[in-house]
Amino acid sequence: MSQQFINQLTELQQHVYAMANLVQDVVEEACAVILQPDGALALRIVERDAEVDRAEVTVESEVIRLMALYQPTGSDIRLLCAILKANHDFERIADGAVNLAQRAQHLVGRIRADDWPILRAMAHHTRTILNHAVQAYLHRDVRQAQQVLREDAPIDRYYVEMVEAIIAATASHPERTATYLDLLSIAKNLERMADHATNIAEEVIFMITGQIVRHRLDQGSLAPAAE
Amino acid sequence: MNSHLNQPNALSPVEPLTLPRVSSTVSAEAPPSANPPKAEVRALNFFYGPKQVLKNINVTFFQHRVTALIGPSGCGKTTLLRCFNRMHDLYPGNRYEGQIMLHPDGVNIIHPQTDPVEMRMRIGMVFQKPNPYPKSIFENVAFGLRLRGVRGSELQGRVEQALRNAALWDETADRQRDLAFSLSGGQQQRLCIARALATDPEMILFDEPTSALDPVATAKIEDLIAELKHRVTILIVTHNMQQAARVSDFTGFMFLGDLVEFDQTQRLFTNPSQKLTNDYITGRFG
Repeated sequence: MSQQFINQLTELQQHVYAMANLVQDVVEEACAVILQPDGALALRIVERDAEVDRAEVTVESEVIRLMALYQPTGSDIRLLCAILKANHDFERIADGAVNLAQRAQHLVGRIRADDWPILRAMAHHTRTILNHAVQAYLHRDVRQAQQVLREDAPIDRYYVEMVEAIIAATASHPERTATYLDLLSIAKNLERMADHATNIAEEVIFMITGQIVRHRLDQGSLAPAAE
Repeated sequence: MNSHLNQPNALSPVEPLTLPRVSSTVSAEAPPSANPPKAEVRALNFFYGPKQVLKNINVTFFQHRVTALIGPSGCGKTTLLRCFNRMHDLYPGNRYEGQIMLHPDGVNIIHPQTDPVEMRMRIGMVFQKPNPYPKSIFENVAFGLRLRGVRGSELQGRVEQALRNAALWDETADRQRDLAFSLSGGQQQRLCIARALATDPEMILFDEPTSALDPVATAKIEDLIAELKHRVTILIVTHNMQQAARVSDFTGFMFLGDLVEFDQTQRLFTNPSQKLTNDYITGRFG
């Protein structure tokens, strides 16, 4: 492959870094909104969605252009495919953060995060899992990616606990149902954001090893990809 | 000039290799969907005089499959291809070691007592540049058949069938007596394929068959290869890796006389097991 391709791949990586960092920022702010409902911050998160969308299109366009012009193979095609798929997951994570922020706007002055320790824990874990996925992605670290896959299960458990807590709270205080639905939506968005972070980790594993590990996580160990 | 030895030459000046080797177990691990072996290369060494250019090649080519050989210039891929129809016999000082077994009868192609003319009937070859004979379109295709004593209406029918199989009949049905050189480059190459097909070969060797053709003619040849593999086993050498990826079922990567990696084409081009292969297919060298 020409040096030109390698240079353009390096340029693409810069866009990838920018996208990953942007989404990390948005998620940080979204988690902050959960912990401390803040209407202005929530509004800013919503407004940053367009910025994420532009970054997503930039990366996608560049990947398609490189594929069309250079017909990459081997580790190059795996890299570009992984970037393309992870790019979509990053955009979906940001969408989750925006949805979450919109719901959080409704909560200003209505709840205290301290009353919902499960939600706090979910926010913390989602932020952590995303950061680990981004580290694995940017450093092409398979071990870190495998760790991310293991980190998703606690968030799923938190979500189940959250649903149970909300059902109980709604039964006790039916007049607050609207607020609880907002909380449920926030929890669901956190759970989905963590799922997308997991997808990114799976793409990292594919990028480095060529193995497709989606749907193959078995009791914490990665089963080898079938033929 | 064609000594056949079963043991590697102990006096070979070539240093022991440290490159990863493909052993015969590779073909044994091929997917169950693979067809039966058509040709098996075992411990093949080849020398141009004192220079060893193929080093202990072990590989199986499967029936009715397209296998591509890729690698940088001088890696030995064309040399390996030419072993199959004994092209190297034409020059003094060339020497084979090992075996190339052609199935189903298991004849060793490179054994000195194997008739090269008979082998060339069973294994056709298409070269880089179209090389029709200075004869008519019809006579080009009829040439090998006449050598086999085919005459009359049978000859007519088999020439037509070969031209049809080479996707050239529709363009040449009414100009059979025209000189082959009156055809375009792409048509001439398909004529050469028809000539190779006329004697019902079991294998066809393609040595960079489209390197002298434009993209449209190239696409026709590639389509033709996809059709032909249902009738014959195909071995193709190409510098065009996209072409290898498009047309072949299996691919072998060669480097400095070694077969570094042999695998299903999809796997070799997306997740090669050897770093050297990845470096080559991604253009990091070569």
